[in-house]
Amino acid sequence: METLEILEKKEKISSTGNCIEIKDLRISFPAKSGKIFTAVKDINLNIKSGEIVSIIGHSGCGKSTIMNSISGLVKPSEGTVIVNGKPVKGPGPDRGIVFQNYSLLPWFSVYRNVYEAVDSVHQEYTKAEKHEWVEKNLEMVNLLQHKDKLPSQLSGGMKQRTAIARAFAINPSVLLLDEPFGALDALTKSALHVELLKIWNLNHRKQTIVMVTHDIEEAIFLSDRVVVMNDGPEATIREIVHIPIERPRNKKEIVHTKTYMDVHDKLLSLLVKNLSIEDAGVAYE
Amino acid sequence: MSMIILLIIWSLVSYITKNEIPGPKATWLVFKEMMADPFYDYGPNDKGIGVQLFSSIKRVLMGFLLGSIFAIPIGILMGSSKIAMKIINPIVQVLRPVSPLAWFPLGLLAFKAADGATVFIIAITSLWPTLINTAFGVSNIPNDHKNVGKAFGFSKWRYISRILIPFSLPHIITGLRLSIGIAWMVIVAGEMLSGGVGIGFFVWDSWNGLSLEKILSAILIIGFVGLILDKIFSGVHTFFEYEAKS
Repeated sequence: METLEILEKKEKISSTGNCIEIKDLRISFPAKSGKIFTAVKDINLNIKSGEIVSIIGHSGCGKSTIMNSISGLVKPSEGTVIVNGKPVKGPGPDRGIVFQNYSLLPWFSVYRNVYEAVDSVHQEYTKAEKHEWVEKNLEMVNLLQHKDKLPSQLSGGMKQRTAIARAFAINPSVLLLDEPFGALDALTKSALHVELLKIWNLNHRKQTIVMVTHDIEEAIFLSDRVVVMNDGPEATIREIVHIPIERPRNKKEIVHTKTYMDVHDKLLSLLVKNLSIEDAGVAYE
Repeated sequence: MSMIILLIIWSLVSYITKNEIPGPKATWLVFKEMMADPFYDYGPNDKGIGVQLFSSIKRVLMGFLLGSIFAIPIGILMGSSKIAMKIINPIVQVLRPVSPLAWFPLGLLAFKAADGATVFIIAITSLWPTLINTAFGVSNIPNDHKNVGKAFGFSKWRYISRILIPFSLPHIITGLRLSIGIAWMVIVAGEMLSGGVGIGFFVWDSWNGLSLEKILSAILIIGFVGLILDKIFSGVHTFFEYEAKS
């Protein structure tokens, strides 16, 4: 399978076995008032190759900031981010990004959106190979029959699938998903979770996936580890929770297991302080 | 409906001025005569309206093209670089309000020919809307689109051709539409100065021959051609407008 060969070429594991190493990361921005706004600080996180890690937290806790430091869209103010043994200097095709709002180019068809990414990253392919590769990736997300549609003609779920196909099509060793399913309804979301794991599985679980989310169920179902953030500003990592559930996971079955409920409870209490109005100091009458 | 109102006002003006300004009917007769053989050519000072119009349109298109060739790249440069914007914008603001007539001597000096000078003033007065609209479009490319280029390692050229141009195209075309309008307005003034052949020269020649009917016919023709040029660009605009929702 040619898919495999390409993956093998791409695969570069650093000596420590970590695909992503974040050390003492601090990210600050100049705020409007002239002061310096620190989004996140003291972030230390190592992610192994082939691991799926979710970063979870409240809005504005700097989840996306950490993500952008891995993708290279944001530069660290302090500390280092190392991907595949090399410090991140900017965005690169070894990391595929699925943006929060899909970010498809509205003037191109589904096919062309994926094709432009492939054409840009895999210039060594012949035209026929590129075409075949794009179609293959569209087939993986079940969009082949919609390949000539413009993004404006697609539903949210289809747009997201296009964005996922585009990210996978450049064959990255790291896949970065920034609240990828946030804007979708619950049914579409569930289907796409399975879709994502299916593609990851088809690629022999070699790709490292980092995902930002605020959905606990989603984090548990998909991840090996969940990174829980404190509230910002100056957000830090609160706790890293392991998800000890065997793969392959069945969404319907795992929710009834004790492990699932324990992890769920733990994450919930880490994230939410007040679980009823009585916790908030209001008597229920 | 609006045509009828125009005709009524015209007749009224003609009536008040005691036919010093000819009314629609008198003009129509001359117009019909002019249109009977629009392409005759009896030497340098006696050509049909079609010949005049044709040479004017040719000049306008040349000047407009020349202007756009400069305006679009400079606009892209201004829109994509804050430094370029800071340097070029003041120059644009100073040169933009200069009357086409003021440029004419410079054009004569540069081209040593009236024809070249006319094309030159059309180019230099019509390029500004295209330049400003291009710069505006380019400077408003959403970060989402820019990030796509960064994330997938787009080369400079790929970024320009796949993201920058498609996004700014509706703005550029709006600029071109305003520019062609200005170019068409400038042609009459330019040709009055340059003489020779063209609709502007025709107006001036008719004034010398005291044929107000011809002038009014020419004005109608100028307006009509301007309308067609505008319609063409508004058509192009709708053609290139994609659904901005993504």
